[in-house]
Amino acid sequence: MEKATRSERIILFLILAFIGVFMVFPMIWMFLSSLKTTEEVLGSTMTFLPSDPQWSNFSGALELAPFLRYIWNSFSTATVIVLAQLFLSSLLAYALTQMEFRGRNVLFMIILATYMLPAATTYVPSYIIISRMGLMDSLAGVVVSNIVDVFSLFLLRQGFLKVPGELIEAARADGASEWRILWRIVVPTSKNTLINAALISFIGHFNNYLWPSLITNSEENFLISVGLNRFFNSQGAFGQTFPLIMAATVISILPLIIVYFLLQKYFIGAISSSEGIKG
Amino acid sequence: MDKQANFKQLFVFVLIPLIPLVIFWIIPLIISVWLSLTNWDYISPTYEYVGLDNYLNLINNDAFLDALNNTLLFTVATVIPTIVLGFVFAVMLNQLRKTKGFLQGLMFAPWITPMVGMSIVWSWMFNPSVGPINQVLGLFGLPEPNWLSDSSTAIWAVIIVTVWKGVGWAMLFFSDALTKIPKGLFEAADVEGAGLGQRIRMILIPLVSPMTLFLFIILTLDALQAYDQISILTQGGPSGSTRTLLYLYYEMTFQQFNIGAGTAVTVLILIISAFLAFLSMILSKKFVFY
Repeated sequence: MEKATRSERIILFLILAFIGVFMVFPMIWMFLSSLKTTEEVLGSTMTFLPSDPQWSNFSGALELAPFLRYIWNSFSTATVIVLAQLFLSSLLAYALTQMEFRGRNVLFMIILATYMLPAATTYVPSYIIISRMGLMDSLAGVVVSNIVDVFSLFLLRQGFLKVPGELIEAARADGASEWRILWRIVVPTSKNTLINAALISFIGHFNNYLWPSLITNSEENFLISVGLNRFFNSQGAFGQTFPLIMAATVISILPLIIVYFLLQKYFIGAISSSEGIKG
Repeated sequence: MDKQANFKQLFVFVLIPLIPLVIFWIIPLIISVWLSLTNWDYISPTYEYVGLDNYLNLINNDAFLDALNNTLLFTVATVIPTIVLGFVFAVMLNQLRKTKGFLQGLMFAPWITPMVGMSIVWSWMFNPSVGPINQVLGLFGLPEPNWLSDSSTAIWAVIIVTVWKGVGWAMLFFSDALTKIPKGLFEAADVEGAGLGQRIRMILIPLVSPMTLFLFIILTLDALQAYDQISILTQGGPSGSTRTLLYLYYEMTFQQFNIGAGTAVTVLILIISAFLAFLSMILSKKFVFY
Protein backbone atom coordinates (compact mmCIF):
# COMPACT_ATOMS: atom_id res chain seq x y z
CA MET A 1 0.00 0.00 0.00
CA GLU A 2 1.35 3.48 -0.70
CA LYS A 3 2.62 5.15 2.44
CA ALA A 4 0.22 7.33 4.38
CA THR A 5 0.71 11.08 4.53
CA ARG A 6 2.36 12.66 7.53
CA SER A 7 -0.88 13.71 9.23
CA GLU A 8 -2.43 10.29 8.62
CA ARG A 9 0.63 8.71 10.22
CA ILE A 10 0.26 10.91 13.29
CA ILE A 11 -3.36 9.85 13.72
CA LEU A 12 -2.42 6.19 13.24
CA PHE A 13 0.40 6.57 15.74
CA LEU A 14 -1.97 8.03 18.34
CA ILE A 15 -4.49 5.22 17.89
CA LEU A 16 -1.81 2.53 18.03
CA ALA A 17 -0.07 4.15 20.99
CA PHE A 18 -3.37 4.07 22.86
CA ILE A 19 -3.76 0.37 22.04
CA GLY A 20 -0.13 -0.26 23.03
CA VAL A 21 -0.64 1.41 26.42
CA PHE A 22 -3.78 -0.67 26.89
CA MET A 23 -1.74 -3.83 26.21
CA VAL A 24 0.86 -3.03 28.85
CA PHE A 25 -1.67 -1.53 31.28
CA PRO A 26 -2.01 -4.75 33.35
CA MET A 27 1.75 -4.74 33.90
CA ILE A 28 1.78 -1.05 34.86
CA TRP A 29 -1.20 -1.48 37.16
CA MET A 30 0.41 -4.56 38.75
CA PHE A 31 3.58 -2.60 39.46
CA LEU A 32 1.74 0.42 40.90
CA SER A 33 -0.49 -1.82 43.03
CA SER A 34 2.56 -3.59 44.44
CA LEU A 35 3.66 -0.26 45.92
CA LYS A 36 0.34 0.59 47.57
CA THR A 37 -0.98 -0.09 51.04
CA THR A 38 -3.90 -2.48 51.52
CA GLU A 39 -6.16 0.44 52.52
CA GLU A 40 -5.27 2.28 49.35
CA VAL A 41 -6.08 -0.72 47.15
CA LEU A 42 -9.34 -1.57 48.90
CA GLY A 43 -10.44 2.05 49.26
CA SER A 44 -13.51 3.17 47.40
CA THR A 45 -11.84 6.05 45.58
CA MET A 46 -9.70 5.06 42.63
CA THR A 47 -6.09 6.09 43.04
CA PHE A 48 -3.73 5.50 40.18
CA LEU A 49 -0.36 6.35 41.67
CA PRO A 50 0.61 5.05 45.12
CA SER A 51 0.54 7.98 47.56
CA ASP A 52 3.47 6.65 49.55
CA PRO A 53 5.39 3.88 47.69
CA GLN A 54 5.69 0.81 49.93
CA TRP A 55 8.94 -0.73 48.70
CA SER A 56 8.85 -2.97 51.76
CA ASN A 57 6.08 -5.00 50.06
CA PHE A 58 8.80 -6.69 48.00
CA SER A 59 10.82 -7.84 50.98
CA GLY A 60 7.54 -8.75 52.67
CA ALA A 61 6.58 -11.05 49.79
CA LEU A 62 10.04 -12.63 49.73
CA GLU A 63 9.70 -13.45 53.43
CA LEU A 64 6.39 -15.25 52.93
CA ALA A 65 7.54 -17.62 50.17
CA PRO A 66 10.90 -18.48 48.58
CA PHE A 67 10.28 -16.70 45.28
CA LEU A 68 13.96 -16.41 44.43
CA ARG A 69 14.23 -20.19 44.81
CA TYR A 70 11.22 -20.63 42.44
CA ILE A 71 12.78 -18.27 39.91
CA TRP A 72 16.07 -20.13 40.12
CA ASN A 73 14.21 -23.45 39.61
CA SER A 74 12.45 -22.09 36.53
CA PHE A 75 15.62 -20.54 35.18
CA SER A 76 17.82 -23.59 35.69
CA THR A 77 15.33 -26.19 34.43
CA ALA A 78 14.42 -24.06 31.40
CA THR A 79 18.12 -23.60 30.58
CA VAL A 80 18.92 -27.31 30.79
CA ILE A 81 15.78 -28.21 28.83
CA VAL A 82 16.63 -25.73 26.07
CA LEU A 83 20.24 -26.93 25.77
CA ALA A 84 19.16 -30.58 25.62
CA GLN A 85 16.45 -29.77 23.07
CA LEU A 86 18.82 -27.84 20.85
CA PHE A 87 21.38 -30.64 20.96
CA LEU A 88 18.89 -33.40 20.09
CA SER A 89 16.91 -31.30 17.62
CA SER A 90 20.12 -30.34 15.80
CA LEU A 91 21.01 -33.99 15.32
CA LEU A 92 17.56 -34.93 14.08
CA ALA A 93 17.13 -31.84 11.92
CA TYR A 94 20.50 -32.60 10.32
CA ALA A 95 19.42 -36.16 9.56
CA LEU A 96 16.11 -34.91 8.13
CA THR A 97 17.74 -32.32 5.89
CA GLN A 98 21.19 -33.65 4.95
CA MET A 99 21.03 -37.44 5.15
CA GLU A 100 19.38 -40.06 3.02
CA PHE A 101 17.66 -42.98 4.71
CA ARG A 102 14.58 -45.10 4.25
CA GLY A 103 11.44 -43.76 5.90
CA ARG A 104 12.78 -40.23 6.22
CA ASN A 105 9.61 -38.56 4.96
CA VAL A 106 7.35 -40.86 6.94
CA LEU A 107 9.34 -40.07 10.07
CA PHE A 108 8.94 -36.36 9.45
CA MET A 109 5.19 -36.76 8.94
CA ILE A 110 4.86 -38.68 12.23
CA ILE A 111 6.78 -35.99 14.11
CA LEU A 112 4.66 -33.30 12.43
CA ALA A 113 1.50 -35.12 13.50
CA THR A 114 2.58 -35.35 17.14
CA TYR A 115 3.07 -31.59 17.18
CA MET A 116 -0.63 -31.17 16.48
CA LEU A 117 -1.72 -33.39 19.35
CA PRO A 118 -2.65 -32.06 22.79
CA ALA A 119 0.04 -32.59 25.41
CA ALA A 120 -2.62 -33.34 28.01
CA THR A 121 -3.23 -36.71 26.38
CA THR A 122 0.22 -37.80 27.52
CA TYR A 123 -0.06 -36.62 31.13
CA VAL A 124 -1.36 -39.71 32.95
CA PRO A 125 1.05 -42.20 31.31
CA SER A 126 3.94 -39.72 31.58
CA TYR A 127 3.12 -39.28 35.26
CA ILE A 128 3.42 -43.03 35.77
CA ILE A 129 6.63 -43.19 33.72
CA ILE A 130 8.17 -40.36 35.77
CA SER A 131 7.28 -42.08 39.04
CA ARG A 132 8.64 -45.45 37.79
CA MET A 133 11.89 -43.67 36.94
CA GLY A 134 11.97 -42.43 40.54
CA LEU A 135 11.88 -38.81 39.37
CA MET A 136 8.59 -37.76 40.94
CA ASP A 137 8.78 -34.43 42.76
CA SER A 138 12.23 -33.56 41.45
CA LEU A 139 13.60 -30.95 39.09
CA ALA A 140 15.22 -33.78 37.13
CA GLY A 141 11.72 -35.09 36.46
CA VAL A 142 10.65 -31.68 35.15
CA VAL A 143 13.69 -31.59 32.84
CA VAL A 144 13.51 -35.15 31.55
CA SER A 145 9.81 -35.06 30.71
CA ASN A 146 10.09 -31.75 28.86
CA ILE A 147 12.97 -32.53 26.55
CA VAL A 148 10.66 -33.39 23.68
CA ASP A 149 10.11 -30.29 21.62
CA VAL A 150 8.82 -30.68 18.14
CA PHE A 151 8.52 -26.94 17.60
CA SER A 152 12.27 -26.31 17.89
CA LEU A 153 12.86 -29.27 15.60
CA PHE A 154 10.71 -27.58 12.95
CA LEU A 155 12.51 -24.30 13.35
CA LEU A 156 15.91 -25.96 13.05
CA ARG A 157 14.85 -28.06 10.08
CA GLN A 158 13.65 -24.89 8.39
CA GLY A 159 16.96 -23.18 9.18
CA PHE A 160 19.13 -26.14 8.12
CA LEU A 161 17.37 -26.30 4.75
CA LYS A 162 18.78 -22.84 4.01
CA VAL A 163 22.40 -23.91 4.54
CA PRO A 164 24.06 -23.88 1.07
CA GLY A 165 24.55 -27.44 -0.19
CA GLU A 166 27.99 -26.57 -1.62
CA LEU A 167 29.33 -25.92 1.87
CA ILE A 168 28.37 -29.41 2.98
CA GLU A 169 29.56 -31.05 -0.27
CA ALA A 170 32.92 -29.34 0.04
CA ALA A 171 33.32 -30.50 3.64
CA ARG A 172 32.42 -34.06 2.67
CA ALA A 173 34.94 -33.95 -0.17
CA ASP A 174 37.56 -32.95 2.39
CA GLY A 175 36.68 -36.05 4.38
CA ALA A 176 34.91 -34.33 7.29
CA SER A 177 32.61 -36.58 9.34
CA GLU A 178 28.87 -35.85 9.46
CA TRP A 179 29.24 -35.04 13.16
CA ARG A 180 31.89 -32.46 12.38
CA ILE A 181 29.90 -30.96 9.50
CA LEU A 182 26.89 -30.52 11.76
CA TRP A 183 28.70 -28.77 14.62
CA ARG A 184 31.35 -26.91 12.61
CA ILE A 185 29.37 -25.81 9.55
CA VAL A 186 25.60 -26.24 9.78
CA VAL A 187 25.08 -25.07 13.36
CA PRO A 188 27.29 -21.95 13.12
CA THR A 189 25.62 -20.99 9.81
CA SER A 190 22.17 -21.34 11.42
CA LYS A 191 23.08 -19.46 14.59
CA ASN A 192 20.12 -17.07 14.42
CA THR A 193 17.63 -19.89 14.02
CA LEU A 194 19.09 -21.59 17.08
CA ILE A 195 18.84 -18.41 19.16
CA ASN A 196 15.23 -17.93 18.05
CA ALA A 197 14.28 -21.50 18.88
CA ALA A 198 16.06 -21.23 22.23
CA LEU A 199 14.20 -18.03 23.20
CA ILE A 200 10.74 -19.32 22.31
CA SER A 201 11.36 -22.57 24.14
CA PHE A 202 12.93 -20.85 27.16
CA ILE A 203 9.92 -18.56 27.66
CA GLY A 204 7.54 -21.50 27.43
CA HIS A 205 9.42 -23.60 29.95
CA PHE A 206 10.13 -20.73 32.31
CA ASN A 207 6.38 -20.00 32.45
CA ASN A 208 5.26 -23.64 32.36
CA TYR A 209 2.53 -24.40 34.85
CA LEU A 210 0.15 -27.35 34.48
CA TRP A 211 2.53 -30.26 33.98
CA PRO A 212 5.14 -29.13 36.56
CA SER A 213 2.32 -28.56 39.06
CA LEU A 214 1.29 -32.20 38.63
CA ILE A 215 4.73 -33.73 39.17
CA THR A 216 6.11 -31.51 41.94
CA ASN A 217 4.84 -31.42 45.53
CA SER A 218 7.48 -29.83 47.70
CA GLU A 219 8.12 -26.15 47.86
CA GLU A 220 11.79 -26.51 47.03
CA ASN A 221 10.92 -27.98 43.62
CA PHE A 222 8.24 -25.49 42.52
CA LEU A 223 8.67 -23.56 39.31
CA ILE A 224 7.77 -19.89 39.56
CA SER A 225 4.23 -20.20 38.17
CA VAL A 226 3.47 -23.12 40.48
CA GLY A 227 4.88 -21.35 43.54
CA LEU A 228 3.14 -18.09 42.68
CA ASN A 229 -0.23 -19.77 42.34
CA ARG A 230 0.20 -21.63 45.66
CA PHE A 231 1.06 -18.31 47.28
CA PHE A 232 -1.95 -16.64 45.65
CA ASN A 233 -4.28 -19.36 46.97
CA SER A 234 -2.71 -19.52 50.43
CA GLN A 235 -3.11 -15.77 50.90
CA GLY A 236 -6.82 -15.96 50.20
CA ALA A 237 -7.57 -14.91 46.67
CA PHE A 238 -9.08 -11.55 47.61
CA GLY A 239 -7.57 -11.00 51.00
CA GLN A 240 -5.83 -8.25 52.82
CA THR A 241 -2.45 -9.14 51.32
CA PHE A 242 -3.25 -8.00 47.81
CA PRO A 243 -0.27 -5.60 47.51
CA LEU A 244 2.02 -8.45 48.61
CA ILE A 245 0.53 -10.73 45.95
CA MET A 246 1.15 -8.02 43.35
CA ALA A 247 4.72 -7.59 44.64
CA ALA A 248 5.26 -11.36 44.30
CA THR A 249 3.85 -11.27 40.77
CA VAL A 250 6.17 -8.39 39.88
CA ILE A 251 9.13 -10.39 41.19
CA SER A 252 8.09 -13.40 39.13
CA ILE A 253 7.60 -11.46 35.90
CA LEU A 254 10.58 -9.12 36.16
CA PRO A 255 13.24 -11.57 34.87
CA LEU A 256 11.25 -12.13 31.66
CA ILE A 257 10.56 -8.43 31.13
CA ILE A 258 14.29 -7.71 31.42
CA VAL A 259 15.19 -10.53 29.01
CA TYR A 260 12.52 -9.28 26.63
CA PHE A 261 13.75 -5.70 26.50
CA LEU A 262 17.37 -6.80 26.08
CA LEU A 263 16.63 -9.33 23.34
CA GLN A 264 13.54 -7.84 21.70
CA LYS A 265 15.06 -8.06 18.22
CA TYR A 266 15.53 -11.80 18.54
CA PHE A 267 11.92 -12.32 19.59
CA ILE A 268 10.68 -10.50 16.54
CA GLY A 269 13.18 -12.48 14.45
CA ALA A 270 11.92 -15.69 16.00
CA ILE A 271 8.47 -15.00 14.67
CA SER A 272 9.74 -14.20 11.18
CA SER A 273 11.76 -17.38 10.93
CA SER A 274 9.06 -19.66 12.27
CA GLU A 275 6.75 -18.45 9.54
CA GLY A 276 6.56 -20.94 6.72
CA ILE A 277 6.54 -23.98 8.98
CA LYS A 278 3.26 -24.97 7.49
CA GLY A 279 4.14 -23.69 4.02
CA MET B 1 23.06 -34.97 -3.14
CA ASP B 2 22.24 -36.06 0.36
CA LYS B 3 24.45 -38.73 1.77
CA GLN B 4 23.14 -42.25 2.30
CA ALA B 5 23.40 -42.77 6.05
CA ASN B 6 25.00 -45.86 7.57
CA PHE B 7 23.77 -47.64 10.67
CA LYS B 8 26.08 -45.88 13.11
CA GLN B 9 25.00 -42.48 11.79
CA LEU B 10 21.32 -43.38 11.99
CA PHE B 11 21.85 -44.46 15.58
CA VAL B 12 23.41 -41.14 16.60
CA PHE B 13 21.41 -38.73 14.43
CA VAL B 14 17.98 -40.37 14.44
CA LEU B 15 17.50 -42.98 17.16
CA ILE B 16 19.00 -41.10 20.10
CA PRO B 17 17.04 -37.86 19.48
CA LEU B 18 13.87 -39.92 19.10
CA ILE B 19 14.17 -41.58 22.54
CA PRO B 20 12.47 -38.76 24.52
CA LEU B 21 9.81 -38.37 21.84
CA VAL B 22 8.99 -42.07 22.04
CA ILE B 23 9.07 -42.28 25.87
CA PHE B 24 7.14 -39.11 26.66
CA TRP B 25 4.87 -38.73 23.61
CA ILE B 26 4.25 -41.75 21.47
CA ILE B 27 4.07 -44.43 24.16
CA PRO B 28 1.92 -42.23 26.47
CA LEU B 29 -0.46 -41.47 23.59
CA ILE B 30 -0.98 -45.16 22.95
CA ILE B 31 -1.39 -45.94 26.67
CA SER B 32 -3.93 -43.10 26.97
CA VAL B 33 -6.07 -44.54 24.23
CA TRP B 34 -5.96 -47.88 26.08
CA LEU B 35 -6.75 -46.29 29.47
CA SER B 36 -9.79 -44.57 27.99
CA LEU B 37 -11.21 -48.04 27.40
CA THR B 38 -10.83 -49.06 31.06
CA ASN B 39 -12.35 -48.11 34.41
CA TRP B 40 -9.04 -47.55 36.22
CA ASP B 41 -9.22 -45.21 39.24
CA TYR B 42 -5.48 -44.73 39.76
CA ILE B 43 -5.54 -46.23 43.28
CA SER B 44 -6.68 -49.81 42.78
CA PRO B 45 -4.12 -52.22 41.33
CA THR B 46 -6.67 -53.81 38.99
CA TYR B 47 -8.96 -52.44 36.35
CA GLU B 48 -11.32 -53.78 33.74
CA TYR B 49 -11.67 -53.30 30.05
CA VAL B 50 -14.99 -51.53 29.53
CA GLY B 51 -14.97 -50.97 25.78
CA LEU B 52 -16.53 -47.71 24.67
CA ASP B 53 -18.48 -47.23 27.94
CA ASN B 54 -16.53 -44.14 28.95
CA TYR B 55 -17.30 -42.47 25.63
CA LEU B 56 -20.98 -43.43 25.72
CA ASN B 57 -21.26 -42.11 29.29
CA LEU B 58 -19.70 -38.82 28.22
CA ILE B 59 -22.17 -38.30 25.41
CA ASN B 60 -25.01 -38.69 27.90
CA ASN B 61 -23.33 -36.49 30.50
CA ASP B 62 -24.58 -32.89 30.72
CA ALA B 63 -21.30 -31.68 32.21
CA PHE B 64 -19.50 -33.01 29.13
CA LEU B 65 -21.95 -31.45 26.70
CA ASP B 66 -21.71 -28.12 28.52
CA ALA B 67 -17.92 -28.34 28.40
CA LEU B 68 -18.05 -29.09 24.67
CA ASN B 69 -20.27 -26.07 24.19
CA ASN B 70 -17.99 -23.85 26.30
CA THR B 71 -14.94 -25.07 24.39
CA LEU B 72 -16.56 -24.21 21.09
CA LEU B 73 -17.54 -20.73 22.28
CA PHE B 74 -14.13 -20.12 23.86
CA THR B 75 -12.28 -21.27 20.74
CA VAL B 76 -14.32 -19.25 18.24
CA ALA B 77 -14.41 -16.15 20.44
CA THR B 78 -10.64 -16.16 21.02
CA VAL B 79 -9.32 -17.26 17.63
CA ILE B 80 -11.35 -14.90 15.43
CA PRO B 81 -10.70 -11.65 17.37
CA THR B 82 -7.02 -12.56 17.76
CA ILE B 83 -6.63 -13.02 14.00
CA VAL B 84 -8.77 -10.02 12.97
CA LEU B 85 -7.21 -7.60 15.47
CA GLY B 86 -3.72 -8.95 14.77
CA PHE B 87 -4.25 -8.29 11.06
CA VAL B 88 -5.73 -4.81 11.57
CA PHE B 89 -2.92 -3.78 13.94
CA ALA B 90 -0.30 -5.10 11.51
CA VAL B 91 -1.81 -3.18 8.56
CA MET B 92 -1.90 0.01 10.63
CA LEU B 93 1.63 -0.47 11.97
CA ASN B 94 2.90 -1.09 8.46
CA GLN B 95 2.15 2.57 7.65
CA LEU B 96 4.41 3.87 10.39
CA ARG B 97 8.15 4.41 10.10
CA LYS B 98 10.30 5.11 13.14
CA THR B 99 7.76 4.23 15.80
CA LYS B 100 6.76 0.84 14.35
CA GLY B 101 9.28 -1.24 16.29
CA PHE B 102 8.50 0.45 19.60
CA LEU B 103 4.75 -0.08 19.24
CA GLN B 104 5.25 -3.68 18.15
CA GLY B 105 7.29 -4.17 21.31
CA LEU B 106 4.45 -2.87 23.50
CA MET B 107 1.82 -5.00 21.80
CA PHE B 108 3.89 -8.18 21.87
CA ALA B 109 4.90 -7.81 25.54
CA PRO B 110 1.88 -9.70 26.97
CA TRP B 111 2.91 -12.82 25.05
CA ILE B 112 6.13 -13.29 26.99
CA THR B 113 4.56 -12.80 30.43
CA PRO B 114 3.50 -15.89 32.37
CA MET B 115 -0.21 -16.66 32.03
CA VAL B 116 -0.42 -17.62 35.71
CA GLY B 117 1.02 -14.34 37.01
CA MET B 118 -0.96 -12.16 34.63
CA SER B 119 -4.18 -14.05 35.34
CA ILE B 120 -3.72 -13.20 39.02
CA VAL B 121 -3.40 -9.54 38.01
CA TRP B 122 -6.45 -9.74 35.75
CA SER B 123 -8.51 -11.42 38.47
CA TRP B 124 -8.08 -8.18 40.41
CA MET B 125 -8.64 -5.95 37.41
CA PHE B 126 -12.04 -7.67 37.02
CA ASN B 127 -12.93 -7.18 40.70
CA PRO B 128 -16.39 -5.52 40.63
CA SER B 129 -15.81 -3.08 43.50
CA VAL B 130 -12.12 -2.12 43.44
CA GLY B 131 -10.92 -3.30 40.02
CA PRO B 132 -10.02 -0.63 37.45
CA ILE B 133 -12.20 -2.10 34.69
CA ASN B 134 -15.52 -1.43 36.41
CA GLN B 135 -14.26 1.86 37.78
CA VAL B 136 -13.61 3.03 34.22
CA LEU B 137 -16.92 1.60 32.99
CA GLY B 138 -18.63 3.45 35.85
CA LEU B 139 -17.07 6.75 34.82
CA PHE B 140 -18.80 6.45 31.46
CA GLY B 141 -22.07 5.30 33.01
CA LEU B 142 -21.75 1.86 31.39
CA PRO B 143 -23.05 -1.36 33.00
CA GLU B 144 -20.64 -2.83 35.56
CA PRO B 145 -20.85 -6.62 35.35
CA ASN B 146 -19.73 -8.95 38.11
CA TRP B 147 -17.35 -10.53 35.59
CA LEU B 148 -15.82 -13.61 37.20
CA SER B 149 -18.65 -14.37 39.62
CA ASP B 150 -21.45 -14.19 37.07
CA SER B 151 -21.95 -17.30 34.94
CA SER B 152 -23.00 -15.24 31.93
CA THR B 153 -19.89 -13.03 31.87
CA ALA B 154 -17.13 -15.23 33.34
CA ILE B 155 -16.26 -16.90 30.06
CA TRP B 156 -15.99 -13.49 28.38
CA ALA B 157 -13.52 -12.38 31.02
CA VAL B 158 -11.40 -15.47 30.29
CA ILE B 159 -11.72 -14.74 26.56
CA ILE B 160 -10.59 -11.12 27.03
CA VAL B 161 -7.45 -12.25 28.89
CA THR B 162 -6.67 -14.87 26.24
CA VAL B 163 -7.09 -12.44 23.33
CA TRP B 164 -5.05 -9.80 25.17
CA LYS B 165 -2.18 -12.25 25.51
CA GLY B 166 -2.25 -13.59 21.95
CA VAL B 167 -3.07 -10.62 19.73
CA GLY B 168 0.46 -9.15 19.67
CA TRP B 169 1.80 -12.52 18.65
CA ALA B 170 -0.62 -12.71 15.70
CA MET B 171 0.25 -9.08 14.83
CA LEU B 172 3.95 -9.95 14.53
CA PHE B 173 3.23 -12.83 12.15
CA PHE B 174 1.05 -10.60 9.97
CA SER B 175 3.59 -7.74 10.09
CA ASP B 176 6.20 -10.11 8.77
CA ALA B 177 3.90 -11.37 6.02
CA LEU B 178 3.05 -7.78 5.00
CA THR B 179 6.68 -6.74 4.62
CA LYS B 180 7.15 -9.62 2.16
CA ILE B 181 4.40 -8.49 -0.24
CA PRO B 182 6.02 -7.30 -3.47
CA LYS B 183 5.78 -3.50 -3.80
CA GLY B 184 4.98 -3.79 -7.51
CA LEU B 185 1.53 -5.14 -6.76
CA PHE B 186 0.45 -1.89 -5.17
CA GLU B 187 1.94 0.14 -7.99
CA ALA B 188 -0.17 -1.89 -10.39
CA ALA B 189 -3.20 -1.20 -8.19
CA ASP B 190 -2.36 2.53 -8.41
CA VAL B 191 -2.38 2.35 -12.19
CA GLU B 192 -5.72 0.54 -12.13
CA GLY B 193 -7.07 3.21 -9.75
CA ALA B 194 -8.10 0.69 -7.10
CA GLY B 195 -9.57 2.09 -3.87
CA LEU B 196 -8.45 1.23 -0.35
CA GLY B 197 -11.20 -1.37 0.19
CA GLN B 198 -10.34 -3.04 -3.11
CA ARG B 199 -6.65 -3.12 -2.26
CA ILE B 200 -7.30 -4.82 1.05
CA ARG B 201 -9.70 -7.30 -0.51
CA MET B 202 -7.78 -8.05 -3.71
CA ILE B 203 -4.16 -7.86 -2.56
CA LEU B 204 -3.67 -7.93 1.20
CA ILE B 205 -6.11 -10.62 2.25
CA PRO B 206 -5.21 -13.16 -0.48
CA LEU B 207 -1.48 -12.66 0.09
CA VAL B 208 -1.64 -13.16 3.84
CA SER B 209 -3.98 -16.15 3.57
CA PRO B 210 -1.24 -18.79 4.13
CA MET B 211 -0.29 -16.93 7.31
CA THR B 212 -3.94 -16.72 8.35
CA LEU B 213 -4.40 -20.46 7.95
CA PHE B 214 -1.22 -21.13 9.94
CA LEU B 215 -2.37 -18.82 12.76
CA PHE B 216 -5.86 -20.26 12.67
CA ILE B 217 -4.54 -23.77 13.26
CA ILE B 218 -2.01 -22.83 15.95
CA LEU B 219 -4.48 -20.60 17.82
CA THR B 220 -7.22 -23.21 17.65
CA LEU B 221 -4.92 -25.91 19.03
CA ASP B 222 -3.86 -23.50 21.79
CA ALA B 223 -7.49 -22.64 22.60
CA LEU B 224 -8.38 -26.33 22.87
CA GLN B 225 -5.57 -26.69 25.41
CA ALA B 226 -6.19 -23.50 27.43
CA TYR B 227 -5.81 -24.24 31.11
CA ASP B 228 -3.72 -21.74 33.11
CA GLN B 229 -6.03 -18.74 32.80
CA ILE B 230 -9.15 -20.80 33.55
CA SER B 231 -7.48 -22.39 36.54
CA ILE B 232 -6.59 -19.02 38.08
CA LEU B 233 -9.53 -16.86 37.04
CA THR B 234 -12.53 -19.12 37.52
CA GLN B 235 -11.58 -22.76 38.17
CA GLY B 236 -14.22 -23.74 35.66
CA GLY B 237 -16.98 -21.88 37.48
CA PRO B 238 -19.30 -20.25 38.26
CA SER B 239 -21.62 -23.25 37.88
CA GLY B 240 -19.45 -24.79 35.18
CA SER B 241 -19.76 -21.84 32.80
CA THR B 242 -16.01 -21.74 32.04
CA ARG B 243 -15.35 -25.46 32.22
CA THR B 244 -13.80 -26.37 28.89
CA LEU B 245 -13.02 -29.91 27.76
CA LEU B 246 -9.44 -29.65 28.96
CA TYR B 247 -10.54 -28.35 32.34
CA LEU B 248 -13.10 -31.13 32.60
CA TYR B 249 -10.28 -33.59 31.84
CA TYR B 250 -8.19 -32.05 34.62
CA GLU B 251 -11.03 -32.35 37.15
CA MET B 252 -11.95 -35.90 36.19
CA THR B 253 -8.37 -37.15 36.09
CA PHE B 254 -6.50 -35.29 38.80
CA GLN B 255 -9.27 -34.41 41.25
CA GLN B 256 -11.72 -37.31 40.93
CA PHE B 257 -9.13 -39.89 39.77
CA ASN B 258 -11.56 -41.15 37.19
CA ILE B 259 -8.73 -42.02 34.81
CA GLY B 260 -10.82 -43.88 32.25
CA ALA B 261 -13.37 -41.10 31.72
CA GLY B 262 -10.73 -38.38 31.96
CA THR B 263 -8.48 -39.87 29.32
CA ALA B 264 -11.53 -40.45 27.13
CA VAL B 265 -12.02 -36.67 27.20
CA THR B 266 -8.43 -36.05 26.08
CA VAL B 267 -8.69 -38.67 23.38
CA LEU B 268 -11.70 -36.72 22.09
CA ILE B 269 -9.65 -33.48 22.20
CA LEU B 270 -6.96 -35.41 20.34
CA ILE B 271 -9.44 -36.50 17.67
CA ILE B 272 -10.69 -32.90 17.26
CA SER B 273 -7.09 -31.70 16.93
CA ALA B 274 -6.21 -34.39 14.42
CA PHE B 275 -9.31 -33.54 12.40
CA LEU B 276 -8.33 -29.86 12.37
CA ALA B 277 -4.80 -30.73 11.31
CA PHE B 278 -6.14 -32.85 8.48
CA LEU B 279 -8.57 -30.11 7.46
CA SER B 280 -5.74 -27.57 7.39
CA MET B 281 -3.74 -29.69 5.00
CA ILE B 282 -6.69 -29.97 2.62
CA LEU B 283 -7.49 -26.26 2.91
CA SER B 284 -3.90 -25.24 2.32
CA LYS B 285 -3.99 -27.08 -1.00
CA LYS B 286 -7.36 -25.74 -2.11
CA PHE B 287 -8.10 -22.28 -0.85
CA VAL B 288 -4.85 -20.64 0.02
CA PHE B 289 -3.49 -18.40 -2.71
CA TYR B 290 0.24 -18.17 -2.94
